[in-house]
Amino acid sequence: MSDPILVVVFLRGGADSLSLIAPAGDADYVAARSESLRVLRKGDAAGRVLRSPIADADFRFHPQAGALADLYEAGDLSVIHATGLAEATRSHFDAEARIEAAGPGSVGGGWLGRWLAAAQPGGPLPALAVGSSMPGSLAGSGAAVANELQDLMAAAGHWLAPSLRARLAEGFGAHPLLGATVAQLASLSEAVGARVWNAETNEALTYRPDVPYPSDTPLSQPLMTVARAIKSDLGLRVATVDYGGWDTHVGQADQFGSLTSGLSSALVAFWRDLGPRQQDVSVVIQSEFGRRLRANASGGTDHGRAGAMLVLGPQAKGGRMLGNWPGLKNEALEEGADLAVTTDYRSVLAEVMAGHMKVPDMGAVFPGFTPAPVGVWG
Amino acid sequence: MTLTRRAFHAALLGSAVAAIAFRPTPASALAQDSADLFLNRLTFGTTPAEREVFRNLGPEAWLDAQLAPAPDRDLDARLADARLRIAYEAGDDGEGHSWSALDELRPLSSLTADPADLVPLLDFTKPMDYAHRNRPADEVIAASLIRAVHAKAQLAEVMTQFWHDHFNVSATKFEGTAVFFPAYDAMLRGHALGNFRAMLGDVARAPAMLNYLGNADSRASPANENFARELLELHTLGAGNYLNDRYRNWHEVPGAEDGLAEGYIDGDVFEVARAFTGWTIGDGRWIAEGALAPVDGRFHFAESWHDPYQKRILGREFPANRAPMADGEDVLDMLATHPGTARFVCTKIARRLLTDAPDDALVGRMADLFLQTAEAPDQIAQVVRLLALSPEFQAPAAKLRRPFEYLAALLRASGADVVSPEAAFRWELSRAGWRQHEYPPPTGHPDQLADWANTTVLARMVDTALYAHEPWAGITDTDPGLAITRGPVTFAGVADHWADVLGTDPDALRGSYLTALGAGPEDTLPEDPDERRGLIALAFSFAALSPEVLLR
Repeated sequence: MSDPILVVVFLRGGADSLSLIAPAGDADYVAARSESLRVLRKGDAAGRVLRSPIADADFRFHPQAGALADLYEAGDLSVIHATGLAEATRSHFDAEARIEAAGPGSVGGGWLGRWLAAAQPGGPLPALAVGSSMPGSLAGSGAAVANELQDLMAAAGHWLAPSLRARLAEGFGAHPLLGATVAQLASLSEAVGARVWNAETNEALTYRPDVPYPSDTPLSQPLMTVARAIKSDLGLRVATVDYGGWDTHVGQADQFGSLTSGLSSALVAFWRDLGPRQQDVSVVIQSEFGRRLRANASGGTDHGRAGAMLVLGPQAKGGRMLGNWPGLKNEALEEGADLAVTTDYRSVLAEVMAGHMKVPDMGAVFPGFTPAPVGVWG
Repeated sequence: MTLTRRAFHAALLGSAVAAIAFRPTPASALAQDSADLFLNRLTFGTTPAEREVFRNLGPEAWLDAQLAPAPDRDLDARLADARLRIAYEAGDDGEGHSWSALDELRPLSSLTADPADLVPLLDFTKPMDYAHRNRPADEVIAASLIRAVHAKAQLAEVMTQFWHDHFNVSATKFEGTAVFFPAYDAMLRGHALGNFRAMLGDVARAPAMLNYLGNADSRASPANENFARELLELHTLGAGNYLNDRYRNWHEVPGAEDGLAEGYIDGDVFEVARAFTGWTIGDGRWIAEGALAPVDGRFHFAESWHDPYQKRILGREFPANRAPMADGEDVLDMLATHPGTARFVCTKIARRLLTDAPDDALVGRMADLFLQTAEAPDQIAQVVRLLALSPEFQAPAAKLRRPFEYLAALLRASGADVVSPEAAFRWELSRAGWRQHEYPPPTGHPDQLADWANTTVLARMVDTALYAHEPWAGITDTDPGLAITRGPVTFAGVADHWADVLGTDPDALRGSYLTALGAGPEDTLPEDPDERRGLIALAFSFAALSPEVLLR
C-alpha cells in the first residue's frame, strides 16, 4: 500500500441532511415536511433503507442516492448524522470559514494546511485544490490549485515556454507576495508536463478513465482530475473538491434531486475508476450546515444547523450509521428550529486523520480540541 | 488551447544590418511611477494617453474630473456599434413547438431596453431557444469589457465593478436574473459614486436581485430568509457584526436595549426576512386568487404576501400593520446609517482601491465621512476622494490584478480596439476563477491576494499575456505587433518601447527578452512583416509578465 490519500468533497451551500439521509419514519419529520420535501417510505420514490441505524427512525437515502446506498451496503461508506459546528452560526461564509479553519483564529490557516505543514510530504504535488481558488482548509498551505492537471503548466506548448517561465522567475524570484507561487508553478510545469503533455503533438494527453463518469454533473470533471493525479504518481496526499448549489431556499425538491444524483453517480464513478488504488484513498463528504426542519413558503428550506457527513474508504468500518440522533421534537431542536449538533465535525475528521492518514497527534491539526470517539475507525 | 510559433533564430542572423534604433522618449521614471500608482489603482490600467492627462491636471484635478464624469458619447457610440453573436441549433420545446437554427451578429439592444419589453423572454409558453432568454445577460457581460477598456469615466467603471461584487447577482443563475440584468447594471452604474442608501434601496427592489436571492417568492409564512441574511452579512453590516455565537437573545446584544444593536443575531435575520415579505416583481406572477402582478418588469409590492405583524430588529420595535413597504424601508434606513455598515463598506472600498489590509485609522476616517454624508447625493464620491488623497494612498503596489482587471489593463496598454468581444473571453476568465457578472455565491469575487495568488490563476495570466490579442481569442483585431511601424528597429528598442508603455523595468525586460531570443541589443528585427510582428507582440507579452503589471 502506498501513502494514504485523503479527498475532501465540500457540498457548498448547506446540504439538506434531512433529505440526503432522511429520518423517513420520524413522526415529527413527516409532520413538518410536505411529501415533495421529504424522503418517502413507500412507492416508486421511496428511499433505500440504511441498515444498522442510530435510532428507530427508518433512515433512508434520498431516492437519487442509489449509488451511495450501494457503497453503504458494500461496507465502504459510513454515515455520521447530526454533525456540525459547536458554535451556532447559520451564515454560509462564517460556517465554512470556521469549519475549514477548524481552530481558533490565533492559529491561522486551514486544518489540511496545518497537516501539510506538520507532515511535510514530498513529491511534486502533495496537495491539490481542484478549482480555481484555494479553499479555507488549505489556506496558507501553498497547495496547487487547478481544474485539470495541464492547467498547472505555464505557457504550455508555447515555443518560448522556458523563457517565459524564466521571465517570471527573474521578475518575482524573491518577491514577498508572489515569489513562492511563481516558483511552484515553474516546478509543477515540469513535473506535470512530463506526465500529461505530449511533446510531439504539443497538446495535452486526454485522460482516459477506467469507467465512464456521468456527463450531467459538474462533479465529474473535478473527481476525474483527482483520479488522474492519484494514478499519475505525483505524490498526492490531499485533494479538495467543491460541489456547489446546495443553498435550496426556493423550489428545493427538483434541485436537491439532481444535485444528489450528481453526487452519487460521480462519486461511485470516481471510486470505481480508482480500481486497486481504492486501498489508498478515503473520501470525506461534508457541508457547512444542514437545513431547517420546516420548509418556508417558497418550497425551500432555510439555513439550519446539523448536517450529515459521509466517509468512503475500505479502511473505515463502513456500512454503518454513526453519531447520536437527537430527534426532531420541538424541545430537541436547536433554537426550536433545527436538527441539533450532537457530534463535532472535528471528531469525525480526527478519526479519519488518525485512522487513515496515520497522524499520531491531532494537536497541530485541531489545536485545542479533544476529539470524542465516533467509531469510523475501530 | 495553445499556439506554437516557428523559431526565428535563423532569421535573426541574416538581419544584423546596422540600423537606427527606435527609441521612445522615456518619461521621467519617477513621475511615471507615481502617476502609474495612482492611475492603476483608480482605473482599469494606465495608458500613455492617460498618463499625459494626469500629468497635465495633477492628482486632485484628475480625480475630481473622474468623480463627476461627463457623458461619454464615444463610449455610447461604441456600445451602439458593438455586435454579439447569437447562435444555436434548431430545436423544440418538447410540446410540439420548434424553432430553426440561428447564427447572427446582433446589436446589444437590451442594454437600453425598457424592462417591460424584456419580460416576454420569461414567458415559457413561448417557444424559443434559451439563448434568447439569456441574451440580456450576455450583452451586459460583453459590454462590460468594452466599458472597462474604453470608458473615459474609468473610476466610475471601477466602482461599478466594485458594487457588482458587493451586491453580487449571478446574471445567468436564472432566466429571471438574466432578463433583468441590464437594468441592474445600469442602476449600479448610476449610483456607483452616488448615495449608498439610494443604491441599497434600488438593489432591494431590483428584479435581478429579487430573483437571485429568492425574495421575489418570499411571503408569509415562513418567509424565505435568503435575502435578509445576505443583506445583513454582505450588503451592510458584514459578517464581522454577526454575533450569533455570542448572544442568544436580542436584548443581550450591546446597544439593543437602547434601540440600535451593534450587531445582529439569527433572530434579526428572521425578522428582517419578515419585513421584506411581499417585495416581489412585476412579471405577471400569480399573487392570489384573481390577482396577478403587473407586467412592467419593475418592483412590485404584494401586500397580501406581507407579514404585517410586529417585529423587533436590532433592538427597535416595529409595530404591526404599517404602511406598505414601511417595514423594509425602515430596515434599509437603519442599516445604511449604521456605524457597522460604514466601517464594513469603507473597509471594502479601501481594500478594492488600495490594499488588502487597509489601515484602521484610514478606514475610521472614511467611515466617519460616510456617516456624515449619509444624505449627500455624492456620498460615495466623497469617501473615495478622501481615500485617494490620503497619505496612505502613496503605499507601494501590493494588490494582485484579478483576471478581468489584468485582461483589461493589457488591452488598454496596447491601445486595443475592443469592438465586439466574443463569448470566449468569459470562458478563459472562468478558468482563472473570474466569472464576469456570473459569480455564483452572493459574496462576489474575493478581493485579497491570497484568494488569487495560486498556480492556476498565475498560469492563466501567462495565457492572457500571450494570447489576449490573438484573433482566436475574439476580443480585438488590434495586434500589438504593429505598434512599431517606423523603419528598422532593434530588439532592445522593442523592449524599451513596451517597458515605457507598460511602466515596467526596461533593463529587466531587455535582459529576458534578448536572452529568450538569443539576440544582441543592437540586432535589428527581421524585415519579414510576419516575423517582425510576432517578435514585437512577444515583447509585449514579456513586458506584461512583470511585477509592475501584475500588481497594482
